[in-house]
Amino acid sequence: MTKIVNLALKGLTKYKMRTFLMMLGIIIGIATLTVIVSISKGAQMKIMKGIRSFGTNAVLVSAGGGKMFGPPDEDTTSLRIEDADAIKESVKGVKHIAAFTVSVSQDIIYGNKNTTSPVLGVTPEWMDAWQWYVDKGEYISDDDNASMSKNAVIGQTVARELFGDQNPIGETIRINNTNFKVIGIMAHRGTSPMGMDMDRRVFVPRTTAMRKLFNIDHVGMIRMYIEDESKLQEVTMNVTALLKERHHITAGQEDDFRVTNTVKMSMMAKGVSKTLRTFLILLSVISLGVGGIVIANIMFISVNERKKEIGIRRAFGARAKDIMNQFLGEALLVTVSGGVLGTLLGLAVSKIVSMIPLATAIGPMGKKKMMTMPAVISWEPFVLAFLFSVIIGVLAGIQPAKKAAAMDPVEAMRG
Amino acid sequence: MIELKGITKTYRKNGSLEVSVLKGIDLEIKKGEFVAIMAPSGMGKSTLMNIIGCLDKPTGGEYLLDGAAVDKMNDDDLSRTRNKKIGFVFQSFNLLPKTTALENVELPLIYASDDIDVKAKAKAALESVGLGERINHMPSELSGGQQQRVAIARALVNDPAIILADEPTGNLDTASSEEVMNIFKRLNQNGRTIILVTHEPDIAGHAKRIIRLKDGQVVSDERRAA
Repeated sequence: MTKIVNLALKGLTKYKMRTFLMMLGIIIGIATLTVIVSISKGAQMKIMKGIRSFGTNAVLVSAGGGKMFGPPDEDTTSLRIEDADAIKESVKGVKHIAAFTVSVSQDIIYGNKNTTSPVLGVTPEWMDAWQWYVDKGEYISDDDNASMSKNAVIGQTVARELFGDQNPIGETIRINNTNFKVIGIMAHRGTSPMGMDMDRRVFVPRTTAMRKLFNIDHVGMIRMYIEDESKLQEVTMNVTALLKERHHITAGQEDDFRVTNTVKMSMMAKGVSKTLRTFLILLSVISLGVGGIVIANIMFISVNERKKEIGIRRAFGARAKDIMNQFLGEALLVTVSGGVLGTLLGLAVSKIVSMIPLATAIGPMGKKKMMTMPAVISWEPFVLAFLFSVIIGVLAGIQPAKKAAAMDPVEAMRG
Repeated sequence: MIELKGITKTYRKNGSLEVSVLKGIDLEIKKGEFVAIMAPSGMGKSTLMNIIGCLDKPTGGEYLLDGAAVDKMNDDDLSRTRNKKIGFVFQSFNLLPKTTALENVELPLIYASDDIDVKAKAKAALESVGLGERINHMPSELSGGQQQRVAIARALVNDPAIILADEPTGNLDTASSEEVMNIFKRLNQNGRTIILVTHEPDIAGHAKRIIRLKDGQVVSDERRAA
């Protein structure tokens, strides 16, 4: 074995340019493959993170029609607290349910600092429905709702932007010209599948939001927590049917609400990354295929040019098998080292790609936020590269090696 | 040690035309002999040498090498026999280009199955032909005579019983030729069988026995005092 590797190494180092050309296709192909694995793992991680922040076992109804996910349409007034009550009464499998109002963008002021945040009008059920709880202090209670109190709970981002290291609890913030007392801070939640910062949130009592702040009689969203994950699609369908009926949506007419769950969400996210992945896989397969053909051709040329060497080796005792192993070893060494170099190049490219901003989002206070494509560096590319290089090496090397082995020693030595 | 009985070799050229190169050679060469095979060019001496060297199989006849029937051997056995028993020296040296003298001499050892110190053995072989100082030179950095000495070291390194030399001085000047022939003589004095193929009477004159071929047959076989 070491003999074969040694021999192959000697053969290859004598023809450096040729060896490099043979390796090139494999390097590019394997690098592309590595980028695919890293990027799709990154995308998957992003999706998983998003789904985790959205919450598993969750169904979310938003006001307003359309297909895209995202914040509710504030002009749609048809989603009501009564809808939530009806769901609770007639849809089986819903463990927690909370109807709440959403005002997508409000200025939040503390002293001379300000920020922008969605403001949610909530009841205590909200926490169970979202499986998301306060980190410090208290949440909005039934008493807050009964008395239409001016207490507020803030998310981590809002707390950081307004208060920095200072303790926000007990401080007064201003929302829509009304003073609120901060009574709690929510636990960290992360980024939504839509790329929204879930920690940029301000929570106030629902009654206060509806009657004092915004003067509305509808809600923006209804959130449900389903105990049995296998019932997720069933509950989603039942909720959709019930709301269609309650909102008098006839066949063929567009819904004035959207129902989302985790399954739908991961399907959509997978759909997006699939297109990119298919393209990259195609590219990788083509470059590996072309790389293999290039190696096979150069090996054939090499065998012809090295006829005399083959003859000399045979004269001094090399068996046909030894010649076969020598040339097959050279092909394999080319593809495997190409594979290793390709993986390293691919990892470097993934790293660079993950740092390139794909889009610039303008955040609050005019701050620019970069959107990037994450890449995950893992062991899989190495295994894949090794596997592919060995397969290509054998496929590309076997015919030239057989030809070399079959040469008549006397004929070969004539050159 | 070498017994050829009625060896024939026929080549098929352009499909149907058969060319008979060897027409029944009977020959016996004993251990320790120094034999020159002489023939004009194209009279089958290279073919005979390839058959004796187990590189080529005869079309007909029997070839016994140390009692083993070479004409019945398969390819792997022929390779092993070449590796163990025969050391070739060629007119055009046939060294591997871009490969050091040492690595060239190591070549037969790579294909020998025994576990030996390849480097040390190759180095000793080079020293025995007076090239101990040039082991890391490429063939292109050596003179013709030096290259042929590297080739002789390569032929010797696996300690074969027979050295088969095909016009070994054909590409050398007179001084280098003398040097090479002296090495062969010394090897023969140490008991090795030397078979020399040549068309130069001067070179054949170094041998103890001269076999002349013509038209694929042995026409004379003379032994002489060296």
